Amino acid sequence: MTSTLPAVTPAKVPAQRQPAPVARPTGRTTPPLRLRSSRPDLILCGVLLVAILVVQGWNIADYPTLSDDEGTYLAQAWAVQEGRGLAHYTYWYDHPPLGWIQLALLTWIPAALSPESMTVGTMRAAMLVISAASAVLVYVIGRRLSLPRWAAGLGMVLFGLSPLSVVLQREIFLDNLAVMWTLLAFALAASPSRHLWHHFGAGIAAATAVLTKETMLFVLPAVLITMWRHSHRDTRKFAVTGAVTACALIGLSYPLFALLKGELLPGSGHVSLWDGIKYQMTRPGSGFILDQGSGSWGVLQSWLYYDRVLIVGGLAGGLLLLLTWRWSVTARALAGPSFTVVILALVAMRPSGYLPAMYVIQALPFLALVLAGGTASVAHAVLRRWRSEAEHRYLTGGRYALAAVLAISAGAYVVPRWYDGDRTAVTADANAPYRAASKWLSTEVPDPGDTRVLVDDALWLDLVHAGYKPGLGVIWFYKADLDPAVTRTMPRGWKDLDYVVASPTVRRDAVDLPNVKAAIEHSKPVAVFGRGEDRIEIRQIQTASGGVR
Amino acid sequence: MAAFTLWWQMHAWRTPEVLASTRFSRPDGDEHLSFSLLLPARHEQAVLDHTIQRLLESTHTDFEIIVIVGHDDPETTEVAEKAASRDPRVRVVVDTHEKKNKPKAMNTALPHCRGDVVGVFDAEDQVHPELLAHVDHAFRTTGADVVQGGVQLINFHSSWYSLRNCLEYFFWFRSRLHLHAQKGFIPLGGNTVFVRTAVLREADGWDPDCLAEDCDLGVRLSSVGKKVVVAYDSDMVTKEETPGSLMSLLKQRTRWNQGFLQVYRKKDWRQLPTFGQRLLARYTLMTPFMQAFTGLIIPLNIAIAVFVDVPVSVAFITFLPAVTALVTFVFEIVGLHDFGKQYGLRVRFVHYLKLVVGGPFYQVLLAGAAVRAVWREQRGQNDWELTSHVGAHLADAEVARDLREDVPA
Repeated sequence: MTSTLPAVTPAKVPAQRQPAPVARPTGRTTPPLRLRSSRPDLILCGVLLVAILVVQGWNIADYPTLSDDEGTYLAQAWAVQEGRGLAHYTYWYDHPPLGWIQLALLTWIPAALSPESMTVGTMRAAMLVISAASAVLVYVIGRRLSLPRWAAGLGMVLFGLSPLSVVLQREIFLDNLAVMWTLLAFALAASPSRHLWHHFGAGIAAATAVLTKETMLFVLPAVLITMWRHSHRDTRKFAVTGAVTACALIGLSYPLFALLKGELLPGSGHVSLWDGIKYQMTRPGSGFILDQGSGSWGVLQSWLYYDRVLIVGGLAGGLLLLLTWRWSVTARALAGPSFTVVILALVAMRPSGYLPAMYVIQALPFLALVLAGGTASVAHAVLRRWRSEAEHRYLTGGRYALAAVLAISAGAYVVPRWYDGDRTAVTADANAPYRAASKWLSTEVPDPGDTRVLVDDALWLDLVHAGYKPGLGVIWFYKADLDPAVTRTMPRGWKDLDYVVASPTVRRDAVDLPNVKAAIEHSKPVAVFGRGEDRIEIRQIQTASGGVR
Repeated sequence: MAAFTLWWQMHAWRTPEVLASTRFSRPDGDEHLSFSLLLPARHEQAVLDHTIQRLLESTHTDFEIIVIVGHDDPETTEVAEKAASRDPRVRVVVDTHEKKNKPKAMNTALPHCRGDVVGVFDAEDQVHPELLAHVDHAFRTTGADVVQGGVQLINFHSSWYSLRNCLEYFFWFRSRLHLHAQKGFIPLGGNTVFVRTAVLREADGWDPDCLAEDCDLGVRLSSVGKKVVVAYDSDMVTKEETPGSLMSLLKQRTRWNQGFLQVYRKKDWRQLPTFGQRLLARYTLMTPFMQAFTGLIIPLNIAIAVFVDVPVSVAFITFLPAVTALVTFVFEIVGLHDFGKQYGLRVRFVHYLKLVVGGPFYQVLLAGAAVRAVWREQRGQNDWELTSHVGAHLADAEVARDLREDVPA
C-alpha cells in the first residue's frame, strides 16, 4: 500500500497527533453558494470535462470488447422503443426495468433518425452523456463537501481518466446510469441552500438509482448520512423524512407494478418479482475476494490490471479519512463518500457473495472523491498545520518543497501507467471479430428471415437489423434452454437451428446449457474471426445425416 | 393540485433561513404605537373577565380595550361594565343591530377606536403579555399595514377531529400564511390580527354581509397593495380550543367555506396586479371545494386500479394522486411531532395513530362541509347559522365558540 501511495502515508502520522487549529487557515476557498456563477469553477470543470470526453469518446466503439450484458440492456431498450413491452422476451424481473427505459429515451432520437445505429458499438456514444453528467456531478459534490477547487478537480480527473473508469464507463451498463443518479442524490443532499425540496429530490434520485440498478441499495445509508450532516437542526426533521418518504414511495412503485400485473408472488405459468429477487439473491457465490483462485479474486485482479491507483489509493484515502475523523475537517465533510467506500468494500468481501465485474463501477466516483479528499487533507497537513505568522521562511520553504516532492513522485508513479492504459483505450481495436462476424451473417446467409441462429446478446441487434426475425429467428443463446416460450418452438432441440455463433461468452456458458452445448457439438465452423480464446466461430448445424437442415 | 397544496403547506420549512424569517424579531424596547384592542363578546360572561384581565397584564404601555356587547345580552354587559369600572383602559361599546354578527359588532366599535392600530381578539383567547410589544416592533421595523399573529388550537388530545383541527391550524399559521404574505395575497385570520386604524377606516371596516369577513378584509387590503406581515412564535401565539362537537365543527367549516365562496364572488381579488397572484387567489378561495373533491376521488381511483380490469399503465397513473396524499400524511406526522415539541406537549403513539386513521374520516367531514356550503349559497341562505341560537336563554359554550370567527385552514 505504501508503495502505491507515496503521497499519503508519510503525512498521515503527524496529522493524527493534535486537534485542528481553531482558526480556519487561509488559502482554502469556501465553496460559493452558486457554482454556476463562479467563473474559475466553470472554467476548471469545463476544461476537465472536455479532456475526459475526448479520452472516453475516442475509439469508444472498438474498445473494450463488446460485452454480453451491454447487448442485453440495449436490446431491451430497443424492445421498449419498438413498443414490444419491457423486453422482447418475457420480462422476468431480473432487474428493475427503469435502467433500459432510460437507455431507450437516451437513444430515442438517434435510433429514430437511423434505425441501424441501434447496435452496441454505435450506441456506446450515448454513454458519453452519462459519463459527462457523472463527472460534472463529482466536481459539484467535491465542492459542496467543501473540498478546495484543485481537489474537486483532482477528484473529477481521477474519476474520469483512470483507465479502469475509461474502460467501464464506455460500456452500456446499467451501473453507469445508476451511478449518475446516486451522484445526483449526493449533490442534492449536500445542497448549500438546504432546501426541503432539494432533499426531497435527493430521495427521488436515490430511488431512481436503485430502480436502475438494485445494488445501489447499499449506498442509501451514505446518502442519508450526507443529508443529515448538511441539513439544519430546525428543518432536518422535515427534510430527512421527506427524502425517505420520496425514496420509499418511488421504490415501492416497482412492487406495485408487479402487483398490478399480477406477478408479485410466484405462481404457476407466470414469472414473478419474488422469483426474480430469489434468483439474484441465490446466484452462486464467486468466493472470497482475497482467496487466490476464487472467482472474486479473478475479478479483483481484472480491475487492478486496469488501474491500481484509484482502487488501492481510494481505499487508503477512505481509511485515512475515517482514522482522522476527529481532527480533520475534510474527513468529516467527506463522511458520505468515505462511508460509501467502506460499505461497498465490506459488501465485496462477503465470502459467499457473487461479485460481478461491473460491481466496481458504483464505487469509482466515491473512490475518486475520497482519494482527492485524502490528498487535500495531506496537502493541508504539509502546508498549513502548525504554521504560525512568525514561522521561519526556510521552514515555510521546506513545506512547499516537501509538497512538491510528494506531488512529483505521485505524478511520476501515476502518469506513465495511466498514459499506457488510456493509450490502449484510444487506439486498440478489440471488436474486429464481432464486426466481421456481423458482416458475414448479414451478407453470406441467403435467407436471413427464415434462418434460426443462436448468438450472444452483443450481436443480437446487428442481426435484427440484417433481417433476422427478432426473438425466434435470432435467439439469445441461453433462451434456447431457459425460456419456455423459446424451447417450445424447438421440439427437436438443436436440430431446429441453423447456426450458432460461438463467441467466448457462448463457449463459456454452454457448459450449463444442454441445448446450446448440443448445438455446438453438432455443428461445424464455416467462418472463424480472430484467434485463440477470443475467436468468434460461426458454426453451421449438421444434422445426423451429415447435411444441413 | 395536492402537490401544490403540499408545496405551500411546507413553505416555512423549505430552508432554515425561511424558517427563521417566519418568527417575530426581538423587540428593541422602544414603543411608539398605541393599540385599540377590539373584544367582541356574546354570551361569554364566563370567560370574558379572565380574558380582559390577561390582556391588561400586557407589558405594552399604551393600549385600550374595547369590549363590544349586544344590547340584548345583559349578563355579558354586566361583566364588561364591571371590568371597565376597575380599569380606565377598558371601555364598553354596545351594538344595537337587530341581527347580530361579528363584523357588524366590530364596525360599531371602529369609530370609537383612539389607537394607531386596531387589534382583534376573541372573548376567550389566551393572549401572551409580550405580544403587543412584539407587534409594535414588527409594525415599526417592516413598515407593515397589517400584522397577523399566530393562532393555535391546543387541545389536540380532546378528540380525533380536534387533533386534525389543531394540526390544520399549525400548518396554516406556521407555514402557509407566510407564503401568502410573501406573495401579496392573504386571507387574514379572525383574531390576533392588527391593522393600522387609518387603513381600516379607509377600507370602510369589515363587510357586514360576508360570512368570512376576516378573509374578505385580507383580500381587499392585499388587492390594493397593503403590506401584510405574518409572524409566528410558539411562545407568542394566541391559544384557542377546537369546536366542542363534530356538528359545530361542521357548521363552522360550512360557514368558512361559504364565506370563501362569497369572497370569491365579490371579485375584489381581480384587482391584484399580477396574474400569478390572481391565480393564487382563485386557487386559495376554491381550495375547500377541490379538497373535498380529491378526498373522494383518491379511494375511487385505487378501487378502479385494483378491481377494474384496466391496462397496467392506466392503473399505474391512477395511483399518482395517492402518492402526494401519502407524502402529505407523512409530513403531517412529522408536523405533529414538531407541534408537540414546540408547545411542550406530549404526543403519544396513539395520537399519531389517530392522525393516520382519522385522515379519511376528516376528509369526509371536509367534503360534507364543502357540499353544504355550496348548497346553502345556492339557496341564498347567507345568514350566520348561529343566529338561530341567539334568542336562547342560556349561552352554551358551543354557541359562543361558533360566534368566533376563526381562520380556515
